[in-house]
Formats: sequence, C-alpha cells, structure tokens
Amino acid sequence: MSNDKKQSRWMKIFSKRGMGQVITVTIGLMVLVIVFGLINPNFFSTRNILNLLRQIAPTLITGIGQSFVLITGNIDLSLGSVVGMSCMISATLMTKGVSPPVAVIITYAASMLIGILNGKLISKAKLPAFIATLGTMTIARGIAQIVNNNYNTDSIGEAAEGFRTLFYYGKTLGLYNTIWITFFIWLVFNFILSMTRTGRHIYAVGSNLNAAYLSGVNVSATVTKAYLVSAFCSSTVGLIITASSGMGTMDAGNAYELYAVAASVIGGVSTLGGQGILLGTVVGASIWGVLQNGLQFAGAPVAIRNIVIGIIVIIAVLLDIIVRGSKKIGKSKASAEASRAGITR
Amino acid sequence: MENYIVEMDGISKSFPGVKALDDVSFRLRSGEVLALLGENGAGKSTLMKILAGVYPKDEGTIRILGKTVERLSPVIAQAMGVAIINQELNLCDHLTVAQNIFLGRELTKNGILSQKHMNEQAYRLLSRFQIDIQPDTIVGDLPVSKKQLVEIAKALSIDAKILIMDEPTSALTSKEIDNLFSIIRQLKEQGHGIVYISHRLEELQYIVDRVMILRDGRYITSMDFRDTTLSEIISYMVGREIKEKFPRIEQERGEKIFEVRNLNAGKMVRNISFSLYKGEIVGIAGLMGAGRTETTRALFGADPKESGEIIINGREVQINGPMDAIRAGLVLVPEDRAKDGLCINLSVRENIALPNLDMLTTPLTVVNRAKEDELTSKSIKNLDIKVAHPDVEANSLSGGNQQKVIVSKWLARNSKVVMFDEPTRGIDVASKVEIYNIMNDLKRKGIGVLFVSSELPEILGISDRILVMADGRITKELDVKDATQEIILEYATKFENKLEAGIGA
Repeated sequence: MSNDKKQSRWMKIFSKRGMGQVITVTIGLMVLVIVFGLINPNFFSTRNILNLLRQIAPTLITGIGQSFVLITGNIDLSLGSVVGMSCMISATLMTKGVSPPVAVIITYAASMLIGILNGKLISKAKLPAFIATLGTMTIARGIAQIVNNNYNTDSIGEAAEGFRTLFYYGKTLGLYNTIWITFFIWLVFNFILSMTRTGRHIYAVGSNLNAAYLSGVNVSATVTKAYLVSAFCSSTVGLIITASSGMGTMDAGNAYELYAVAASVIGGVSTLGGQGILLGTVVGASIWGVLQNGLQFAGAPVAIRNIVIGIIVIIAVLLDIIVRGSKKIGKSKASAEASRAGITR
Repeated sequence: MENYIVEMDGISKSFPGVKALDDVSFRLRSGEVLALLGENGAGKSTLMKILAGVYPKDEGTIRILGKTVERLSPVIAQAMGVAIINQELNLCDHLTVAQNIFLGRELTKNGILSQKHMNEQAYRLLSRFQIDIQPDTIVGDLPVSKKQLVEIAKALSIDAKILIMDEPTSALTSKEIDNLFSIIRQLKEQGHGIVYISHRLEELQYIVDRVMILRDGRYITSMDFRDTTLSEIISYMVGREIKEKFPRIEQERGEKIFEVRNLNAGKMVRNISFSLYKGEIVGIAGLMGAGRTETTRALFGADPKESGEIIINGREVQINGPMDAIRAGLVLVPEDRAKDGLCINLSVRENIALPNLDMLTTPLTVVNRAKEDELTSKSIKNLDIKVAHPDVEANSLSGGNQQKVIVSKWLARNSKVVMFDEPTRGIDVASKVEIYNIMNDLKRKGIGVLFVSSELPEILGISDRILVMADGRITKELDVKDATQEIILEYATKFENKLEAGIGA
C-alpha cells in the first residue's frame, strides 16, 4: 500500500509537465561537467565554481523572463536592449549624482514601460510578437544610446560602492550576492508560474489561446504580465552589469535575448507555447555557462565557442522535436482525418 | 444517348469511426446540370472529393470520359478534366487574376514568365463568359462573388469538362447569382457536365436538369427535375434511420430562466429572440452556415454583438466578453474541441480547473491544490471520464472523453444556462449517450440547456422545443411533439428568396 503511494508520487514527479526534457538535459549537463573536470582539474576549484555560478546568472535571469514570454506562445526580442537600456540609465543617473536606490527604482520603472508596451502591442493591437519586440528592441537600444549623448558613461563613482557590492561584488554566506539575487528571482517567479492563477493563465494562453479566452481568461492581461516579468528580469541584469563594470555601456546585453531563448529552449521550454518549466531554464542556462566557462578553460577561441554552443542549441531542440514528434504524429494525423470527415462529409 | 462523362460505381469510403459512403453509384452526362442533394453529413462532399482526387476511395470503380481510373490524385483528376470549386476558395489573394488562373502552369518565353501572354489569354477567357474582371486585378481586392468567378475561369482554363460547384451561391447577391446561372447555362450548351451542390432548393428550378439524392452515405434516388417537386425531394432527403435510442426524460416545465431579445451580430445573427425555461432542452436545428454557432458565440460574448438584450433569471445582463457570461452563469461548450475547447498539452486537471480558478485560489491567487484535486476527481467521477490519472495530457484522451472534460469545466460552477454546440460530433455512440444523459441531468436540476446540432434524429430525440435557423434568422419554433424531419428541413432551407425579383429564364 505504502509502496503504491510512493510509486505514484514518483510517477507524479516524472509525469509533471516538461520533466522528461529536464531530466535528459540534466544528464547532459552532468556529462559536460565531468568532461571539463577531467580536462582541467581546476574546473572544480571553489573559485571557479563561484565564478561559474556568477557567470551563469545573467543568462539564467533573462532566461526566466524569456521563458515566461515563450510559454505564452510569444517571444521577447527586446530583452537584450532592455538590459543595455537599464545599464545606461542607471549608470548615467549615478554619474549625475542621483542616489543609487532612486536610480535603481527609475531604471526598473523605465524597463516596465517597455514591458507594458510589448504586452499591449501584441495582445491589444494584435501585432506579431516577433515584429512588436523587434520594434521595441530598436527603441530600447536607441534610448540606451541617447541617455548619455551617445557615449558610454564615466565611472559611477564612490557613492555607488554600496550598490556595486549589493548587486555584484559582495558575498553573503560565502556566495556572491549576484547568485543570491538569481536564486530569489527564480524562487519568486517559479512560485508564480507553478502555483498561482496567473501562472496557470500563462500556460493556458500559450497552449490554446481560443480555449483560454472562451474559459474566461483575460488574455491581454496575461500576455502583458509575461512581458513585465521579462522586462523586470532584463532590468535586473542591466543593473548587475552596471555594478560589475562600474560604468554604463551602450551595447551591454547585446544578443542576450537570443541567449535567453537558447537557455529556455535547451531546458525544454517550447517556442510554440504552453510547455516548459523554470527548472529546465536553470539547467539550460547552466549548460550554456558551463560550455562558455569550460571551453574558455580548455583554451578554445571565442569563435569555436560560439560554433559549439550554436550546435548544442540546435541539437537540443531537434531532440525535443524528435521525442515529441514520435509520440504525437500518429495520433494527430488520425484525429485530423476524423475531424475532416466530420466537417466535410 | 447515354454518353456519360462520369461513371462511378460501388463507391465506399470510411473515415475512422464513420462510414461516409456506402456502395454509391453516380452518373453525369455531358451537357447537364446535376443537383447533388442531401442533408449535412449525407456524403455529398465526400463523393465529390473522391471524384476530384482529394480523398482516395476504399472500394468501387471510377470512369471519367470513358476511361477507367484506378488511382486519382488532384493532379490526375485535373488532367482528366475534373475541376472542383469549393466553398472555401483556393486562390492566392496576393496574386493577380491572371497569375491565379495560370498558377502552376505559367506561360513562359525563353524561360522568362510571359506576363503579357497570360494576361491576354485570361482576358479572352473572361470575356468569353462576359465576366467583367480585369486580368491584372489583385485577387484579394475582389469581392467573394468575383473570386468565385475567377475560380470558375481557372477551372475552364484547364478545359475542365466536369465542373463541381459546392454551394456556389451562398455568398452571392441576386444579380451575381443571375450572372452565375447564365454562365452555367452557357457551359451546359458547350457540353460541360456540372455537379451542383446546394442547400437552396428554390434555386434548382432555374438551372437543374436532374437531381440525385444521398442520405446517410447511401444512394437514395435520382430523377429528372421536371418530374418531381420540392416536397418530394425533401421527403427523400430526410428519413434518416434512427439508430440510437435517445434517453429522453419527462420533466415539468418551470419558470423562465433565460431570454434573448432581438440579438444582432453580423450577417449570421439577425434578430434572434427566444426564451428558455427550467426543465427543458431547446435544440437549435439548421444546416451548416445557418448562423447557429455564431449565435451561441455572440450570446457568450466571444464575438461582438450589435444589439440585443440578454435576460437571465429576470435580470438583464451585460455581456461584453466570455468573462461576463461566465459570471452571469451562461456558459458555452464550443463546437471545435481542438480549436476552441481544450488546451491539449495541459493536463486534464488544469483544463477542468481553468475557468474555475476564481473558486480555487486563496486571496493571494495561489492555487489551492487540495481543492483543485477534489474538484477534478469529483468531475472525473461524476461524468465518468476514462483517464488513468488527472495529470495526463488532455491530448491523450479519446474524443468522447475530451468532450466530457470540456463539459465538466462548466458543471463545477453554478451555471444557469449551458449552451452545447454540436456536442456529439465525432464521438462514438456510447459517448454520445453519455453526453445526452449529462444534458438530461442538467434539465432535471433546472439548468437551462441550449443545444445546437446538425443531426436531426438527435435534435428530435433529446430536445423539448426546437428552433430552426436559416440564413442567420430563426425561421420556425416548434414543440417537439409537432416536429418531424420534413418540417425541420423545410424551414432550414427557408432562405430569403434572393431570386424573387425574378430571373425570367
């Protein structure tokens, strides 16, 4: 009896949405870690592990935002530009003597505006997500350039030391603060996605927009919330970059939107919507980070790293399509035939 | 004399779960217009799609222009001179008329597209039939009626001897119908054979030579049009065998719970007014395209409406979206399960909970899993949904069980009126009976049931009162005791007579 119960609990964990892919890629991640550990014994040093975790942080945080948007069946191409915009806005304000807490609040507020704009353009004005966020991507990058008259900023100065410690250099309980920030963001958004009504609506909208609408889901609000999460996450990464470099860089976050898609997709988030869990995004971002770090350690030039990572992304998605495809194609063909018969007879 | 251009014998075709055609024979002569008639689901379109090579036949022989053909594909059928003009037009909206006509067989000169040549040929073709369209017009800019003519021109350009027209007049105005009919007469004189599928029986007199009637996938009869009458035709069309036993229950009719006054929403919902009482099931009958689905969607707030009052339990309610309808206790089980009903890659539990999350969440909107599991397992038990575990994907269920999941979404709340749109389409007989029992159960509990169906036996077997729709209007309200299939079909084909103004010929 108790054995039965135990089994059903395990069954539950395995049958949970997206778990299959997460388990597969976790095995992949472990293989990578072992291989890099064998090539270079220093890979496992505390120093490298801490660095590695901090290196993963930006990809993971933006990956969380992108996952929210992808699960609604959309995409956020503006994400990387919002990182750059946040970096430049926060740094410019601090160099102009604005106190760091105020600068942080203004930065978040500005990013949220982009999030709302994305959400409304897509859900109200019915623009395709690809086009709408391509537009806001360009706009946000433009803002990043204009806030300091087309220059990167000077150092954000000594008044911002506390800010730099809080977001990047400081350690709490032996771990960099950046790692803690990442952890809390994951915790909060994972809770929202898996436990709350909003989370359910996000999955429902991505799985079948019509059915969600006819079930009384406010589609527009749901999509906008997902873009707000994405904007919040990108903004946080922008602040981390400001804290780490101590200045504002106009092209900060360049191409991050694509890294975030890669992390999500490797972790099993479907670009077609309705599928994926944030645990997968953690593994996806980790594979990304481990590859970067490990290949760097192994002395591979940047070009080779890019090529390897690109190939990994394609393989991960291909595997997913093959696995899902073999499960469903037979059935969906039959049902399509049946429904055609029903409609056209 | 008997120079048939199409001879089909012993044609059978099955789809998973249904026998669409059973040993059907079909003849078409050169120079005649044959009306192929039957109710929804009689097998008309399937038969014609087999002739056009869209579906392969299971059994039977096909001879086109005297040649026996074993394997037909759309390409082969076209090459043999069969062209089908569908209700849903198959044109590329962004190309010109001439480009569409020559699509796939473009004329070239030295390997380069010869636009001029194609335009000239298209012009000659169009003017031969007095079709007033310039060959270089973008098809997307044309009204539907003109597009239909382009489609016909395309068929003629491949020298199609056999033309199949499926509901060609449904989108046309009377003047355009007039024009179409004169083209059909011309084609007839030139020796083309035309198969004309239409629900608008009153049009037949203007063009048709012969009628052939199908029912339940079987050949019933064919006769010369001048030897028959419309009422005789209708009597052959109906009379479908009633195979299922319908579990009707008797219930005292109670107070009025739902009333609709003068609902208007687009062309397909015009001046709809009716009432619904406790303890009764009201069926909405009609042919495809009668505006039944549009009516339920407008009531539910899924599509915008222009005017109309909706009154539930004596109080007028404002419905501007599905959310308002759900709150007011008016819910809809939509027609197309895969498109509108289910989130197929979410679990059964999540699907059932989706519209009920407001009752399952704490003030912080956290979903209470214990409550959710309770609701789900109760629904699964009540409706006897066959599922291994509530957490399996909805996609893995059979059609009947998927339908029960969709229904159960709405039964968890205290809904006052439940609208079912074609709830038994594509599900097996046992599941159908279960769906009827669910509706009966609602009726017993005093919940209003509105039930759209194209299956006349089902409508007659389950409803207490029947509304018949045609052309977006309610053409008749009937007590089930007074209703027969003939009467329903008579009113379901009662279109506004566009031709009243009279085509002399």
